[in-house]
Amino acid sequence: MNTPLVVITVILFAIIVLSIQKFLSGGTGIVILKKELKSIFYSPIAWIVMALVMLLNGFSFTAALEILRKADVDETLIGYTFSSTSFWLTYFFIFPVITMRLFSEEKKIGTIETLLTAPVQTIHVLLAKYMAALIFYFIIWLPSAVNFLLFRISSTENVNAVGSFLGAYTIILLVGFFNISIGCLASALTRNQLVAAMACFTFCMLHFLIGFVLQDLPVPESWQGSLFYFSTVKHVQIFISGLIDSRQFIYYLSFTILILSFTYNVLEYRKWKT
Amino acid sequence: MIKVSKLSKQYVERTAVNNISFEVEPGEIVGFLGPNGAGKTTTIRMLTGYIPPTSGTASIGGHDVFSESIKARKKIGYMPENVPLYDDMRIREYLRFRAELKGLRGQEARQGVDEAVELCGLQQIRRQMISSLSKGYRQRVGLADALVNNPELLILDEPTNGLDPNQIRRFRELIKQLGIRHTILISTHILSEVEMTCNRVIILNEGKIIANGKPNNLSSELRSAHTISIELKTSEETAKDLISAIPGIKKVNKEHQSGEWTHFNIRTESDTDVRESIVHLANTQEWPLREIRTQHATLEDAFVEITQANTSNS
Repeated sequence: MNTPLVVITVILFAIIVLSIQKFLSGGTGIVILKKELKSIFYSPIAWIVMALVMLLNGFSFTAALEILRKADVDETLIGYTFSSTSFWLTYFFIFPVITMRLFSEEKKIGTIETLLTAPVQTIHVLLAKYMAALIFYFIIWLPSAVNFLLFRISSTENVNAVGSFLGAYTIILLVGFFNISIGCLASALTRNQLVAAMACFTFCMLHFLIGFVLQDLPVPESWQGSLFYFSTVKHVQIFISGLIDSRQFIYYLSFTILILSFTYNVLEYRKWKT
Repeated sequence: MIKVSKLSKQYVERTAVNNISFEVEPGEIVGFLGPNGAGKTTTIRMLTGYIPPTSGTASIGGHDVFSESIKARKKIGYMPENVPLYDDMRIREYLRFRAELKGLRGQEARQGVDEAVELCGLQQIRRQMISSLSKGYRQRVGLADALVNNPELLILDEPTNGLDPNQIRRFRELIKQLGIRHTILISTHILSEVEMTCNRVIILNEGKIIANGKPNNLSSELRSAHTISIELKTSEETAKDLISAIPGIKKVNKEHQSGEWTHFNIRTESDTDVRESIVHLANTQEWPLREIRTQHATLEDAFVEITQANTSNS
């Protein structure tokens, strides 16, 4: 048993439970969450994004099926789907798209002032917007799960890969936690949605590259091992193989909390700027 | 209701609000007056807890706006300048959201929205999208939002900005009506508005309070330094000097000449009435006199006088 790991997990868990409890208290958080979800799903944007992501997922899925059909391979269908190019392309585009308007739109039209001068706590506003984006993110991926379920139902052979399936969607949710918090921060920093989108894209990309391309760059050999820990691609592979690794939970969740606390301070910045 | 004491907001490059203190009693309608950039919006933002003061304190209904911010904010209905609204919502939906945000639930929220909608004359269009509204209606939605939880204090930042004269008149009526149940702080740079609606006016210039009193008192204070305008038929160049020689006269300006008639503007010391001496002078010099008139100072004069005098001193 790894004691530090257990301690960190407990602390993380406590922070998450406390913030959810904080969010639910008073109910204003729920009010804002409801409004945010309405403004996402009452607008055509959400449905267009979902439809296009479904289209891309369809490509990944069909390509993966094709690989399985052609040769005898040891990877699963899920493994091929989530390592395809169109999966990673979608991955990079999705975060800027769903987070860019969260705060920058309110800043641009000035409603941030009416929102923050209402008797609500800034933390409620932040958590509500973050959760709305997270819910949207997960709903975007749901149709792709239907592909796998259909495959399982229609397949004549025994294709039981429950571990792989759960692992894949767990890691998608985990990287979602992290990257959406980056999007929140980017959106809170600017009143321009385009800048927010670009900043979110850049930092999601940089994070991705740290564990990936840097191996090709002149980085000391001794660093490569530690940089490897940042590699999202590796994390996805581990989870898709059906291994749900607690270290990645800690990694993504602790960074999420850190970045959300930055975002909170950015929102409160007006209070201490001179 | 509002208690502000030694409030300051200091930015690196300038002092937006400089050590102001004032109080607003429950039931008052107070006009917050000043040229653009005088610090009205900054003060209002401090009162609503949007930005904290650099020094000094402010409280709303006994709650400090910074340390008990949520409690203080519950007492305020705030309508910011330019009325920011969510364009993708319908009026009723927006007001319902705002009501719930301010802590009203269920039946209470519905009732609050209905009352605000009725008070602001939005019944006919309550299902419309906010993006389709004209400026005047947006303003009303902003006011309805401020009213929705029936707060004790209304803070309205430039509420008539950009409205046409009819809308302004209607808005004023509404403010007067609201003044019966609410304390109102209304910021503006339109003087007639203050003169017609407010019990008291606070004039702010360059971050300082330079006048605080009833609109009538402020203008009559100024009126004590008279301006008299006269029209004489005289060709003598010495007329100006002769008039200036009358005790109590500060300055004589030759305004314009129409035919043989000359128009003078005369500024006198306060509390002296020189009209009789002028008539007497005209008689002895045998100048025909066809007009003599005291000009009444309006609040507008007071405003211009006070703000400009202060600016040139600093």
